[in-house]
Amino acid sequence: MNPQKRIAIYGKGGIGKSSTASNVAAACADEGYNVMIIGCDPKSDSSITLLGGKRIPTILDLLRDGMEIEEEDEVVFEGYKGVKCVEVGGPEPGIGCAGRGIIVAIQKLKKISQSMKEMDLIIYDVPGDIVCGGFVAPIRKGLVSEAYVLTSGEYMPLYAANNICKGLSRINTKLSGVICNSRSVSREEKIVSKFANEIGSELVAFIPKEQIVQDCERDGYSVLEKAGDTDIAEVYRTLARNIMASDCAVDPRALEDERLRELTR
Amino acid sequence: MQQKNLSIMHPRPSSIVAALYTLRDLNVEVAILHGPPGCSFKHARLLEEDGIRVVTTALDENGFVFGGHDRLVDMLQKVEERFSPKRIGVVGTCVSMIIGEELHEAVMEANLDAPVIEVEVHAGYNDNTKGVLFALESALDVGIIDRQEFERQQHLLNEATNVEKKYGAASKEYLEPSRGDVKYTVAKRVIEMLKEGKKGICILNAKKETAYMFADITLALQEVAENLGVEDNIVNFANLDTELGLPRVRQHAEHILADMDDNVKIDEIIGGLDEYPIAGQQVRQLIEAKYRDFDFAVISGVPHAIPMEALEGMELISITNGPRQVHPLKDMGHEHVLVEIDLHPKTLGVTNIVESEFGATLRQLAREE
Repeated sequence: MNPQKRIAIYGKGGIGKSSTASNVAAACADEGYNVMIIGCDPKSDSSITLLGGKRIPTILDLLRDGMEIEEEDEVVFEGYKGVKCVEVGGPEPGIGCAGRGIIVAIQKLKKISQSMKEMDLIIYDVPGDIVCGGFVAPIRKGLVSEAYVLTSGEYMPLYAANNICKGLSRINTKLSGVICNSRSVSREEKIVSKFANEIGSELVAFIPKEQIVQDCERDGYSVLEKAGDTDIAEVYRTLARNIMASDCAVDPRALEDERLRELTR
Repeated sequence: MQQKNLSIMHPRPSSIVAALYTLRDLNVEVAILHGPPGCSFKHARLLEEDGIRVVTTALDENGFVFGGHDRLVDMLQKVEERFSPKRIGVVGTCVSMIIGEELHEAVMEANLDAPVIEVEVHAGYNDNTKGVLFALESALDVGIIDRQEFERQQHLLNEATNVEKKYGAASKEYLEPSRGDVKYTVAKRVIEMLKEGKKGICILNAKKETAYMFADITLALQEVAENLGVEDNIVNFANLDTELGLPRVRQHAEHILADMDDNVKIDEIIGGLDEYPIAGQQVRQLIEAKYRDFDFAVISGVPHAIPMEALEGMELISITNGPRQVHPLKDMGHEHVLVEIDLHPKTLGVTNIVESEFGATLRQLAREE
């Protein structure tokens, strides 16, 4: 039996972490793996395409209502091909602290979830950048052992990706690879590949920008479920296989900002 | 799924403080509060009276924003260098827990010889026993207590919480603090009953170190009864089992029994000093079996943990150290309720019985008779 993979996907907000995470989860489920996806984004959009467009109650929604969560099935829901879906949720904008929310929710989950132990793959879809202690909680609380960083070839997402590498090396967490979610900018694959090499890692997937991804999402499904025979579905499958087979995580070396600018010029 | 309990308006002891007291009971020599300089300062100082050093990483505004990891590592090393403690505790605060400080990483980095009990706790728990529980879980992980003692403590904590919710300071949305009845009047009533030849049970059901003062009431009642020649009319119960509890708690029971030795005989041991929430059941059984015809009971410590059915038909004189405990006790049907003000500061760091105000009043009145 394979050892359990517990990965986190970081990257600038809006770069496509959730759709990548859910498509990878679906692809792994297709291959027969036991998969859990834990969405930490307040939009709670990591799992919606695995559940046919249905929203599940988030851990923080229940806690806000004053519930004591004691059973796993109150927050863990089964989606496409048995993928276990969990959403952390978040506070209202401008109120409270999302970082603390993640800490509380994942501690709660760790306490009540038995099935976490039985998974082949657990994906933490973490919100955006590593901006505070709460956002790295899945790693620091020992729930994640390797990280992937998602970016495009533009300066801002690369800046965030680089920042994440700084954060990862601070907390001694390995980077298993860089994923490029294309925005169709010029020389994109080359730029991201170069970036990945310079930080000591590699580009593990280049996901082209395809309308079909959006279309499936709008319908509430993953690409794997709704358009499984497309090229883009194959890209996700390859990425999923790469993730399950990966064993060459590195300590990332973040670049100087000047170098980062040069790369994207 | 359960709905949370009603929220309570008056401030109560915090989980952080509860964790600190537990570390003390585990014979930790230095506890580091990882947070703002003023966090829990009053109890931190009190605990220093009790022989445990409490230091702070003194996180300031910059620490809140940028984290306090380095400060904690630094403080751990400083503590080792300066105090060479055999056992260390690190306790979270609201601030450090909200910003996601990782105590374990700092402890690993500091790489000390002494075992470190890490307690990730803030003050935002309705049951402050959470702080105790977290400290015990960590002590279990480090191997300072065994699973059996952990489970025993866990059970006692649940019972303590139940007692507080049913009859204690967590029983009502708001409780007015009160100094209770006048000690002079109540002491007079006790002497009167003794003179009438009435029979009384003196129950010491105290929480840990508070027993150093509550035990004085047992002593005083004994003295007064002896002076009146009615000592046979009094039986003494006490939760002073020396074989039960965390290290420091057992020591307290030994000290108190040694102090009582020549002066008073404890007829019934009703549990350890940490068993105050469950001793009531034993009290009930004992009374039912042997002391049903007694006329009054003097109960000190945690009187609200003794079931009222056990005390049926007796006139009750109860002594607590919580000003917010007066009204709940009166509601339960305790006729006379007294408060030993400032009991806790006076019982920290001592190894002998400390004079109580009610004890002193009883003795003085008996002399004047």
